[in-house]
Amino acid sequence: MNNLNYEEQTKVTRAIIKAAVLMLEFGAESKLIEETAQRLGSALGVDSVEVSLIPSAIVLSTLSNNQTQSVTTTRRAHHKPINMSIVCDVQKMCIDVEKYKKDVDYVFETIKNIQPNQYNRWLVVFMVGLSCASFAYLYGADLNGFLITFLASSVAMYVRHELAIRKYVLIISFGITAFIATLIASISQIYNLSATPNVVMTASVILLAPGFPFVNSVLDAVKGYLSMGWGRWMQALLLSVATSIGIILAFALLSMKGW
Amino acid sequence: MEILTQYLINALFSAIPAVGFAMVFNVPRSALIFCAFGGAIGYSTRFALMEFNVPIELATFLASTLVGIVALYWSRKYIVPRPVYTIASIIPLLPGTYAFTAIINLLQMNAQGVSPELITMFIDNGLKAVIILSAIGFGLALPSLFLMRYNRPII
Repeated sequence: MNNLNYEEQTKVTRAIIKAAVLMLEFGAESKLIEETAQRLGSALGVDSVEVSLIPSAIVLSTLSNNQTQSVTTTRRAHHKPINMSIVCDVQKMCIDVEKYKKDVDYVFETIKNIQPNQYNRWLVVFMVGLSCASFAYLYGADLNGFLITFLASSVAMYVRHELAIRKYVLIISFGITAFIATLIASISQIYNLSATPNVVMTASVILLAPGFPFVNSVLDAVKGYLSMGWGRWMQALLLSVATSIGIILAFALLSMKGW
Repeated sequence: MEILTQYLINALFSAIPAVGFAMVFNVPRSALIFCAFGGAIGYSTRFALMEFNVPIELATFLASTLVGIVALYWSRKYIVPRPVYTIASIIPLLPGTYAFTAIINLLQMNAQGVSPELITMFIDNGLKAVIILSAIGFGLALPSLFLMRYNRPII
């Protein structure tokens, strides 16, 4: 059986929870977090790993020496913008540890060196603008509508980037972004530039639809992580409300009634 | 022939948002092309089903199940967690417009007073948004739930 002394087991536990917190912070689903923690645990030589997840923290226990020695630790998770490349890197590291029988130091070393895969900022702005314009096309906008949506959502994405760099809370940055997107999109109605102003205005705020937390919440709930599901649902709902408040503010400023 | 062109154009215009939003979520470079295919598959399936008069909720469910199955295959082949592919792929199916309209209706009810039209619009849009979202979630989860009985990791 595995014979770890207390210090070794504590170190293993710290390594596992570091990986788990990283995955929670950057938006992995609960099943993946628990699975990765358990696989890392058995690869690093503890008998079992028990994980309890809530949206803002992780409690994790490892058991070893025939389940007689237990180490428990808790970490707070601060939610950050979703970043799938970090989640992929942690997952890859877990599989490496399993396959090549790496030790704890390898885990610490890899986690320290994980760098997010940064896309060029202007490329992202352009692509998001084009994405929202494509939505406008799919909903049936004309050419002018397509162009105005592109302009509105590119500027909105730029603003969202700027606010993210200044580390504003997600709720505030979503509200301001929605406000600006709606203001720009409304020129299609004010100056009669497009035959379908409604489509333009709905499509240019679609970059703020919190798809990730919503889908993750359903995935979590159906796989048995009910509290995580509720937490993420609430988070997504708050972001939607912030977006709607931004839109409403823009409407009030232009004294328009609605879509 | 014309129908085929229409499908191809729609597939292209739904692949663009999948890639665009995948970049916002910082998906690894090698996975981008799969997100594009996933987006095109999801949207085209829903479009085709709706042409056959399938209601949007059921069509969304079937389309996202298909995306889930395809992503399951990809994730086992390339050893990448499934959400990397799936969530970018279902972005074109999201009911963002319905959700925002519902919340705006709610705020209007507060500002202008409750009227039957506003309540109707709120319930219509809110129900659509919630049901389509659950359809997406269940559809994506179904293939991996099916494999969960073996009680071992999928990738």
